[in-house]
Amino acid sequence: MSTAIKTTELSRSFKRHLAVDAVSMTVPERSVYGFLGRNGAGKTTTLKMLLGLIRPSCGTASICGVDVGRDRLGAARKVGALLEAHGFYGNLSGRENLDLTRRLIGPPQAETDRVLEVVEMTEHAARRVSDYSLGMRQRLGLARAMLGAPPVLILDEPTNGLDPDGIADMRRFLGDLPIRTGATVLLSSHLLGEIEQTATHVGILHQGRLVLEGELARLKAELIPEIAVETNDPARATKLAGAQGFSVAQSADRIVVSLKPGEDVRAASAALNCALVEAGIAVFAIGPRARTLEGIYREVSSLPPHQTVKQPELF
Amino acid sequence: MFTVLSVEARKLNRSLAALLAIAAPSLIAVFVFFNMMRGKAPAPWDMWMGSASAIWAFFMLPMSVTALTALVAHMEHGPKSWDHLRALPVPRWKLYAAKAACVLAVVAAMSLMVLAMVWVAVSGAAAIRPELVPTGTFDLTSYARTLAMMFLSALLLIALQLWTALRFASFVPALALGIGGTFFAVVATSAKQGVFLPWQMPVNMMATEVWRVNAALGLGGGLGLVALTAMVVHLSRRAVL
Repeated sequence: MSTAIKTTELSRSFKRHLAVDAVSMTVPERSVYGFLGRNGAGKTTTLKMLLGLIRPSCGTASICGVDVGRDRLGAARKVGALLEAHGFYGNLSGRENLDLTRRLIGPPQAETDRVLEVVEMTEHAARRVSDYSLGMRQRLGLARAMLGAPPVLILDEPTNGLDPDGIADMRRFLGDLPIRTGATVLLSSHLLGEIEQTATHVGILHQGRLVLEGELARLKAELIPEIAVETNDPARATKLAGAQGFSVAQSADRIVVSLKPGEDVRAASAALNCALVEAGIAVFAIGPRARTLEGIYREVSSLPPHQTVKQPELF
Repeated sequence: MFTVLSVEARKLNRSLAALLAIAAPSLIAVFVFFNMMRGKAPAPWDMWMGSASAIWAFFMLPMSVTALTALVAHMEHGPKSWDHLRALPVPRWKLYAAKAACVLAVVAAMSLMVLAMVWVAVSGAAAIRPELVPTGTFDLTSYARTLAMMFLSALLLIALQLWTALRFASFVPALALGIGGTFFAVVATSAKQGVFLPWQMPVNMMATEVWRVNAALGLGGGLGLVALTAMVVHLSRRAVL
């Protein structure tokens, strides 16, 4: 799989504050890459550097192989962006707003109709943007980002301020984008649930550093596997699993056993099950625990910022 | 460049800036109309057109430029559209140069509107009260020339106001500069040094001393072009955080 976006040791400091610290990220083509991090983690600063809006203190960024620092215009031709501030002119209609950008970047007039149709905004296109709801503005912003069918879309918090229905629509829309348009989507958010349901790949930014990156399904499957066990005696089961060398957490009705990275979940489950049954502890259920993005996020966010978990072989 | 210019012009559609461009010359025309209606004897065309041009240059031009540049800049600052514009595959200098060209075109159009609307106001008042029909001839070339010189001498004032308005996202610095400049231009009208004050340069086009006209025109026009170029270079290179 080739690369749509690549950064190498990308850093940016504001006076003494290091906002982005040596971020090396790789976004594969036709992926939906969820760029996660809490507010102030450096996501927007990284996106602005990718768009050539601010210069990095050091490091490089490239879009579809074009170096943003050396050829900003060339890189900008490959990207459509939806930024947190939409920048629409309230005195103009939705169509007029799109048309301004279309004129500046050059595609034919029919392109405005096409993108309006894609985001299902054709019937509202003649209304002034000042009368639009936030959800409609988000969709119009998405339409504007898609003008000229750029191979890369950079979307900064696209579900911000949307109601649950709007979020579900946006999620469905973004998930389908690579298949429908062949575009790569870099999606920043601090909403773990949204990214989990939309992204194929994730990168987690913590205190300006990229602390985890990889294909979401593989990360969930491979990163520190866990086994959940429901027994009639969680206290004894905890002791027994601990004696077997497992790291165990106990809750009211179950224990959660953390394995070592790379350890075979099936073999460990079988061994643990055997040990529990032999000790006379009834096992109601045992199996690998589905890993959530939130769990992964909590884990890597608690790592010291200089430690990074990465899956370079994925790309 | 033509595309970027046409985009800038389209942004003015139904905007407050467009409303201001019509309102300011209209106010002068309304004033001239009622001033003429309360008159007892006819006055020459030169008097009506001269006083309208003086009001324009003395107060309405600097204040209109202050408001216009703030409104035009706020069209981008308000919805925070700079990031969107600056991320587009368009050389940034073109965005700022188009903005400047658009403001200059609007101020030029306002100058023409002063001429046209005052003619309409005087003609209208004369139609209602025929005994006040202006005397002398309507010397269009001379009036247009004076207004054109006022426009040229206002380039420095326009550049400074637009630069400040585009540089700062808040209305306050540009408004404070414009109000302050106009205030000193008004309270120190007769000061010789006034010819070096950008906000007073346009009214110096009506001075009887030739050196004042030449100095204000040369400085306002020449330095204005330099300042506009510097503005485009500075703003297009500046990182907007």
